[in-house]
Order: sequence, then structure tokens, then C-alpha cells
Amino acid sequence: MSILKLVIRDILRRKKRVLYAALGVAIGTMTVIGILTISLAGEERIYDQLEKYGPNLTIVPSIYNLDMTLGNLSLGTLSVGENYIAQEKLSKIREIADREIKLALNINDDGDIAVLAPKLFINTEVNNISVMVVGIEPSVESSIKTWWQISSGKYFNGSYEALVGSITAELLKLDVGDKLLLNGDYLTIVGILEESGSSDDYQIFLPLNTMQSVFGKQGLISSVDIRALCNACPVEYIAETINDSIQGVRAIAVKQIATTEMNLMAKVNNFMLTLAGITLVVGFFGVLNTMVSSINERVKDIGIMRAVGASRRQIIRIFIYEAIIIGILGGFFGYIAGTFLAYVVGPLIFEGIVIAYVIEYLPVSIAIATVVACLATIYPAYHATKIKVADSFRSI
Amino acid sequence: MLKLKNVSKIYGNGATKVVALDKISFHLEKGAFAAIMGPSGSGKSTLLNIIGGLDRLSEGEVLLDGRRIDNLNEDNLVSVRRGEVAYIFQQYYLIPSLTAIENVLLPLTFCGRIKSREQASDILQKVGLTTRANHKPSELSGGEQQRVAIARALINKPSLILADEPTGNMDKTTGKQILDLFDELNKEGNTIIMVTHDHQVAKKAKITILLEDGQIIDVVNKAG
Repeated sequence: MSILKLVIRDILRRKKRVLYAALGVAIGTMTVIGILTISLAGEERIYDQLEKYGPNLTIVPSIYNLDMTLGNLSLGTLSVGENYIAQEKLSKIREIADREIKLALNINDDGDIAVLAPKLFINTEVNNISVMVVGIEPSVESSIKTWWQISSGKYFNGSYEALVGSITAELLKLDVGDKLLLNGDYLTIVGILEESGSSDDYQIFLPLNTMQSVFGKQGLISSVDIRALCNACPVEYIAETINDSIQGVRAIAVKQIATTEMNLMAKVNNFMLTLAGITLVVGFFGVLNTMVSSINERVKDIGIMRAVGASRRQIIRIFIYEAIIIGILGGFFGYIAGTFLAYVVGPLIFEGIVIAYVIEYLPVSIAIATVVACLATIYPAYHATKIKVADSFRSI
Repeated sequence: MLKLKNVSKIYGNGATKVVALDKISFHLEKGAFAAIMGPSGSGKSTLLNIIGGLDRLSEGEVLLDGRRIDNLNEDNLVSVRRGEVAYIFQQYYLIPSLTAIENVLLPLTFCGRIKSREQASDILQKVGLTTRANHKPSELSGGEQQRVAIARALINKPSLILADEPTGNMDKTTGKQILDLFDELNKEGNTIIMVTHDHQVAKKAKITILLEDGQIIDVVNKAG
């Protein structure tokens, strides 16, 4: 018979007691796991929202006077005259953006980091109605405008294709498969965009190459949107560097919503984790109390075991084994209860939050619970072994 | 084998001072069967606990096989309990969650010998409990529980068996059976010290030590 078996036998006899102790530990871990789960989901929610803000840097020619919007943010005006940026400046812009981000994030990678989305705007007439036509890099644009949905048809697949904003499609009575006459060239409409409430609804999108050849603007672009979505990305600094080193362009940093939101999130997280820590400490004393009475109850058993040859260390080991089992049980309950807590409380803290269970937190929960249970056990167990064997029988 | 020199046990001090044992001295040879007798509060159990290292004395010396055991540290006391001295209690003191055979195995568990079931069954057979080996203490009668406790005491082959009122909780018949078992163990060479206040019980012993108010008032040696 091993000591572990002895412990398991004893636990089975005192199921209720052990369960109470495990629940005591579970309350502490529940709070921690609940808070961790909520803050993780909250962070994801913020990232989600941030993606909707789209680019956080935009580059335009030095002169402009046409209303331009970016996501829901007004970026001033852009003049659609002969004021273009040479496409070859893109590589220089990329170089600066990547270099600054890598410096800021301490990355030693050669790959591209920032997403650059060049655009060419032309105001033209379709069926005698004035329309803004935008040339874009199909693959890049879709990664920046994650909210883009095709309501009918499909996304670009080749050249001489067009995507039409929902309001424009309605106004011009355009549909998927229709031919569109632009500056003497026919294009096929492959898809209609779902309404997004942005200026995209009023525009027609073409692949950049097609756009350039249709309007004879080879090698020219009107603006570049840059997305470098990270908390620490020095967007303002990148803008400054681009303004200083490239002629004829103006880089504008979109206000640091990302930073603000993330800073707030970090503060909320710290506050909640402090709260969880306090709960854990309070929980620890609860568990300590349970353990003290559970061990006091067994002073006689301890005496018996010592009388038949158990050393103090073996007695403490018995209680530590028990604490580990209580910790595993408590950690497991705490994980389940904490996830449930997050599910109930999460939406009250972050609107529209989606709580998912995080299986990685199960071992975390068990580890916390085990450590708490062991810490709460060591002192009373040690104390109990200090009682003289003869006295331990008298105490009953 | 066992030698006590001026063993005293004093509780408290000053006005509240209580002398539980007052300069007790005696010695026992190997193979002895001694009964410590006396009224309640005479210090019998305290004496037994001091001999077995379950309690500390205030003054004096206890020697087991020529070695002092009264001043041992905890670790050394553990090794005394693991083979030199074994205890049998009035209330049996079995672990309730363990079966009879597991209770017998308990001392071996603490010695790190976890695979000795056969040895335990042999001893259970010796105390006449083969058929009850897998029963929990709550399913056993008082006599059966005490047999388990005796088997538990024997498993480490101790040189000295200490029994504190082993038949105190039993009816006459059961008590006699247990005493017969002690008699048998003594005949096999085990050294036994038994605390009792029952003269009938004490009759089985070869030596009777009479205690009163913490002092030895008489020693009767039937073996002569």
C-alpha cells in the first residue's frame, strides 16, 4: 500500500469535506479565470473594432481639395487634378514604414510588415452621372477593408472588371454582368458591394492596372493608405519621416485611436487582475481556515500514523498530496465556474463581447488552485505534526 | 532489555505543579510479560507513553537494549517506532478508511515497503482474522478490531510491545480471547508491557508492577 493510496482512501471517506475545500479554492480561481477570459475576449473585441478603423496612415499628394474619407474619418480634401504621386515612390514609402515599425517593435525580419494600399481616384461620368472611380490593388484593399462584403456577384478575379458601390449601383441601375463604358473602354461588373455607410457606397472600384490604362495614368496614383496595426507602431513618427524625406507627398497619421483604446484596456486589465489577486488572497484565507479545521479534525489520525511509524515529513506529505488533489479539483471547478462567470458578466463590461472558453486557462487554473491549496495546507499540517503523539490521543 | 532509571513526569510548575510519575525505576528482561496496574490517575498510561516515546519525561532515563531512548530527537524516535516498539491501544486506533489488511500494512507503508500483502495476510491468519481481511474497521467487532491492531503491532517484528488497556473496551469472553493471544505472543518470545486496572487481566502477566500516585508501591514477580 502506498501513501498516495492511503490519501485517496481517506479522501473517498471524507468526500464532502474535500469537496468543500475544493470549492473554497474554486472560488478564488473562478475570479481569476473569469477575469482573464473576459479581458482576453475584450482585447479581441478591441482588435476587431480597430480593424474597422482601417488604415492608420494615409499619403496624398501635397495639393488636394476633394472631400476624402477613410473609414468613417474625414481626412480633409483631395484635388483630382493632375496632382498624382508617382507609383515608384511606393517602395520608398514602404521602406520607411517597415523600418520604423521594425525599430519600434524590435523585429529583425526582412519581410514586409506594413500593408500599403495605393489608390487612383478619377471623377468621371457614367450615363451622364458624375461618379468617383477608384483604382485599387484588389488583394491589398480587401485585407485593409475587412468589412467589405459582396452583396451579389464576386470579388475581382482579373483585369477590366469593376466592383460597384451599393448606392451607385442603385442610382445607375447597374447589376452583375453588365458592361460599363468608361473613357471608351468596356468593363464587366463582377460584383456589387454591400452597403457600408461609407463613401465606398458611392464609388466604382477597378483594379489599379486597369484604371491606369483606361484613363491613361500609367505609373500614377492619387493616395496610399498604410495599415500598420499595432499598439506600439509609431504612426505619427512614420508620417513625419515620410514628409521629411519624400518630395511632393503628404503623410497623415490617423489619430491614435488604437493606442488610446489599448491603453484603456491595459488599465482595465490591471485593475481587474489586482481585484482577482485580492480575491485570491481572501480565498487563500478561506482555504486556510478549511484546512486548519480539516487537519484539526484528524489530529487523532495523525497520532495513530505517527505511533505506527510515520515521520513528520510523511504526515506533511500526506496532507500535501491531499492539497494537490483538492487543488486539481478546485482548479477544474474554478475553470468551469470562471468561464461561466465570464459568459455572464463579460457582456456587462464590454458591449458586444464574444466569450469563448479558453482551454489554455485550464492548466493555469489548476496550477493556481494547487499552489493556493498547498500553501494553505503546509502551515496547519506542520503545526499538527508538532503535537506530541500522546497529546493527540488526549485531544479527542 | 528495558531499563527505567528515576523516571519522573511533572506537569506545570509552582502551585499548579502535578507530579504524574515520581522517580520510577525498574527493569525487564527480554521475553518478559509485565502488567502495570493501578487505579485511574496513578500514571500508568503516562508511564507507558514515556517508554514508547509517545510522551517526554521530565527527569530520568529510559534505556532500550542499552540505548537511551528518552532523549532521542524526532527522527530517531521514528526509527524506534518502526520496529523496536509497537503500540496497542484501548480504542484500537485503526484508520477508518482502510480495510483490516491495509491497517496491518500501514507501518510498512511508512517504512517504504509497499508490497508486503503476503506478510500481512500471514499475520492476520495468526490473529485469526483471515476472513475479515477486507473489511473496514466499522464492520468489525471490538475484539476483531483489537486483533487487527495487534496484527499491525506485530508486522514490524518489534522487540517490545506496549499495550494500553487492550481489553478495556471488551466483554469478558472477548477480553479473554485477546489475553490468550497476548499469552501466545509472549510464549513466542515477544516482550510485552500491558497497562490495566483489571486484576484478572494482570494475572496473565508474569510480572505485575503496582502504581499509585505516580510511584511504584509493589512489584510481584510470579516467575520468581
